Amino acid sequence: MHGSSDRVRLWIRVFAAPVLLAAATIIGLLAALLWGGVGQYVAWVTVGAPLLVVIWTFLRRRLNRVSFPKSGPHGRARVD
Amino acid sequence: MRARTVRLWSVVHTWTSLISTLFLLLLCLTGLPLIFHHEIDECLGYAPQPEAHASAARATPQVVADAALAADPGRVLQYVSWDKDEPGIVMAFTNSAPDGAPDNATVRAFDAVSAKLLGPVGVGPMLIVLKLHTDMFAGQAGKLFLGAMGLLFAVAIVSGVVLYWPFTRRLRFATIRDSAARRVRWLDWHNLIGVVTVAWALVVGLTGVVNTWAELMLNQWKATELASMVAPYAGKPPPAHLASLDDVVARARQTAPGMEVAFIAFPGTPFTSSHHFAAFMRGDTALTARLLQPVLLDGETGEVADSRALPLYLQALLISQPLHFGDYGGMPLKVIWAALDGLTIVVIGSGLYLWLARRRKRAPGKADAFARRAPVPS
Repeated sequence: MHGSSDRVRLWIRVFAAPVLLAAATIIGLLAALLWGGVGQYVAWVTVGAPLLVVIWTFLRRRLNRVSFPKSGPHGRARVD
Repeated sequence: MRARTVRLWSVVHTWTSLISTLFLLLLCLTGLPLIFHHEIDECLGYAPQPEAHASAARATPQVVADAALAADPGRVLQYVSWDKDEPGIVMAFTNSAPDGAPDNATVRAFDAVSAKLLGPVGVGPMLIVLKLHTDMFAGQAGKLFLGAMGLLFAVAIVSGVVLYWPFTRRLRFATIRDSAARRVRWLDWHNLIGVVTVAWALVVGLTGVVNTWAELMLNQWKATELASMVAPYAGKPPPAHLASLDDVVARARQTAPGMEVAFIAFPGTPFTSSHHFAAFMRGDTALTARLLQPVLLDGETGEVADSRALPLYLQALLISQPLHFGDYGGMPLKVIWAALDGLTIVVIGSGLYLWLARRRKRAPGKADAFARRAPVPS
């Protein structure tokens, strides 16, 4: 029982963000098709969301490297 | 997930990806400029521009048809089309015969007001890119082959999602292990970019597959729905003289009130029977503008013969086109489409790198020879 709920929690942790992004993408793709002008704005945000995640991950790594240089007192920065 | 199950999915993911890699790279690379083909054609001078007019009185369809025939003596009209996004232009398709091959058709743009010839359409470098993207210059066989590659791509995506669990369940979302080896860093990027773009890649991949079946669907429609629509006219010869296109357009509008003509197919062309005009009508909302309704009209008298909604599979084809092209949400959506296409190239490239790197790791004795042949990018 306990193991099963742990597994569900772990599954949510792993797949929550990808499922939300996939749902946002689908909503955006259909919004521009079904709702015309307003739907376009929705599409720009939701279909663009995966791009923002990739850009954010890239920038976060760069910022961490700048904050904690490899040769600094803390050694190499860990991202996670 | 059991180790054996993971291995099985891994084999599916590896081989569906590897088999389709080269063709997917071709599709992604040619798809990138095609997203902006209007803009590129305009920059290169291949996009006809309508004239500026003080009057808004448009030339009648028959005047445009006459101008199109005069511009291409000895040939016949196949289609006349009106693009919703380019109201100043009417396009006319001429060919050596009504059922002439699409590759032999000539498309010309005419001014919607003066019916003056503005120039050819669909020529220039983008035509080569389009042919590479749709059939690799191999006709219907090329289309179906690329469709099969699209299906492999979909299987690779689904198997990739299944494998995402065992590979990332101990990591937080969007973790890139900078302290690990380069191969591990690229595995993290591959997993992250792959999983965040999964819905877009599946939609674009599968709608691309549906597009490769367009000709088969059209043939099915002709053999079933269209055949039953023209059954009362069985045995009638092709029209000796054609009805006025003005009458055809007016009667089609009366039959489908509130709709506009998207294009007219002339008798004998692939979109209609040998005896009828087919007027394909579109609505005025974002969705109904893409769902066409055919109105069949007698080729000689212009009388309406029948009108029915398209079957579901053709409606699915029409809906799948904007979802594949990404041209229905303005320039920002096009830019996002291009960026997602770029990310897909990264996923495909990193997948190939990971496969090569794993092979090299498994066969250290061959590493030097391999490195000489295909050095891993730094």
